[in-house]
Amino acid sequence: MLKKHIEKILKLGTIWSVFLLIGSVLLQIFARFFLAQAPSWTEEVSRLCFIFSVAFASPLALKSNYYIHLDVFFNMFSNIWKRRINTLILICVFILFFVLAFASIKFVVMGFTENSPSMGIKMGIAFSSMLILGITMCYFIGLKLIKHLKKPQP
Amino acid sequence: MILVLFIVFVVCLVLRFPIAFSLGLSCFVYIILNGIPLVVIPMKLYSGIDVFVLLSIPGFIMAGNLMNYGGLTEKIVNFCNHLMGHITGGLSLVNIGASMLFAGISGTAVSDTASMGSIMIPAMKKEGYDADFSCAVTAASSTMGPIIPPSIPMIIAATLSGLSVGRLFLAGALPGLLLGGGLMATAYFISKRKKYPKHKKSSLKQVLYSFKDTFWSLLMTFIILFGIIGGVFTPTEASIIAVIYALLIGTFVYKKLNFKKVQIIVLDSMKTSASLMLLVGFANLFGWILITEQVPQLISSEILGISTNKYMVLLMINILLIFVGTFMETIAALLILFPILLKLAISVDIDPIHFAVIAVLNLIIGLTTPPVGVCLFIASSIGKVSIAKVSKAGFPFLLVSFVVLALVTLFPSISLMLPSWFLD
Repeated sequence: MLKKHIEKILKLGTIWSVFLLIGSVLLQIFARFFLAQAPSWTEEVSRLCFIFSVAFASPLALKSNYYIHLDVFFNMFSNIWKRRINTLILICVFILFFVLAFASIKFVVMGFTENSPSMGIKMGIAFSSMLILGITMCYFIGLKLIKHLKKPQP
Repeated sequence: MILVLFIVFVVCLVLRFPIAFSLGLSCFVYIILNGIPLVVIPMKLYSGIDVFVLLSIPGFIMAGNLMNYGGLTEKIVNFCNHLMGHITGGLSLVNIGASMLFAGISGTAVSDTASMGSIMIPAMKKEGYDADFSCAVTAASSTMGPIIPPSIPMIIAATLSGLSVGRLFLAGALPGLLLGGGLMATAYFISKRKKYPKHKKSSLKQVLYSFKDTFWSLLMTFIILFGIIGGVFTPTEASIIAVIYALLIGTFVYKKLNFKKVQIIVLDSMKTSASLMLLVGFANLFGWILITEQVPQLISSEILGISTNKYMVLLMINILLIFVGTFMETIAALLILFPILLKLAISVDIDPIHFAVIAVLNLIIGLTTPPVGVCLFIASSIGKVSIAKVSKAGFPFLLVSFVVLALVTLFPSISLMLPSWFLD
């Protein structure tokens, strides 16, 4: 149930970040051609939307196996070893994103001491995308790990 | 200590860790061993992604996916068939020609092999072409995707070096066309020798009618290119204009899109983009460590120690990139090697734009180089032929690709002519 809710939030977050990104870039183009002065904040908004869309979409990409890897050497291992390696991959990647989430807390706190140049918003808000990325990646890797331990697959 | 970084990275790659995470984990181990504050991980990840020009990548991917949903691949193939189907070995020429046109929309070799291969390989087999030849043509022709503009590897190269995306796009156009021409000539001679079939010549009316179907999608490439070259749009703006254009064409001309389908396409495109962006972000961290450890200078001095001759250096770089390109994905290899090798290239007076074209060309040729070229694997699995047979049938095409690479390497004007004509 929780997984479904989180997935739905991530999907909506991705879609609306992208729509907002498209909107702000279009506004930038429109303002340059048709208004006396183009707003300075559109580039910042689009960059912010982009980073959040990446943070929301990354765990979805993990769930759908979008990350590229090399199969060449892996195929040389026996099935037992393949299962062991898959467990190792999930544990190591979980640790990596756990560390990312943990370190992002300090990064976000640091960000609240500075403002963005155009919009003047606290950079901590933008940096929180890394925290979201770390936590949601941990969650989805954790789910994969549990599923893998229950029913190991080569 | 830098050795630990490389060892962990290589071990992770061999064990099939995703490349992005292999970079991340090797950096993590290095950071822990060196007592560097962990906050540097989110910092570098964030700053690697927070680059305006990178926003164009999801834009171009999304525009391509939106267009493809309207059956673009079939339309392009149909148009090329009417145009070239009457020549001996027509379908193999159609395969290459369609890849050249499709390249302007997809921008990646792997997606080109998969989408073009699923249509062309069964069609060629049905008409009596050998399965290994059909797969080899498909794999070889798909390498034009990342070099003919708009090209995602070129955007990455621009991000890494600060070079103009417009210049890089233009610089890749002529080598891409040269590669296409070379592949077509090879396919024609093989087809003549093997007596492959040809179709009845289409009437002008048929050609024009099929062109009408593809016109809208081909127009997108021109809007992107001339928008950027003409200084009307930045690459990011051009990619968003392409998305809106594809959305309008898909909804009102091809009548295949609705809000629900658009959401699915947006999600799919963003999943692809996000996986690339994590790669870019972790590569930024990896690159930061390499610079801190002065690895680019070290590699430069080692290579320059062997020879300071420009052409010898280029030869060594070409061999290294082809080797890496055979087993590593183009963008990942570019992210790791391009900044290091660019410094070396500049030190022996190689134009950075020229070098970017050489680097991308090398890495995409690697995609069809046995034994581990990714495009060979995709094509052979679609055609259900062994990788060994496809590699053997693809040898003449590989040879032509090497000739084009040699020409592009030796004659910088092939890459630099268009940028200097249009942008100087």
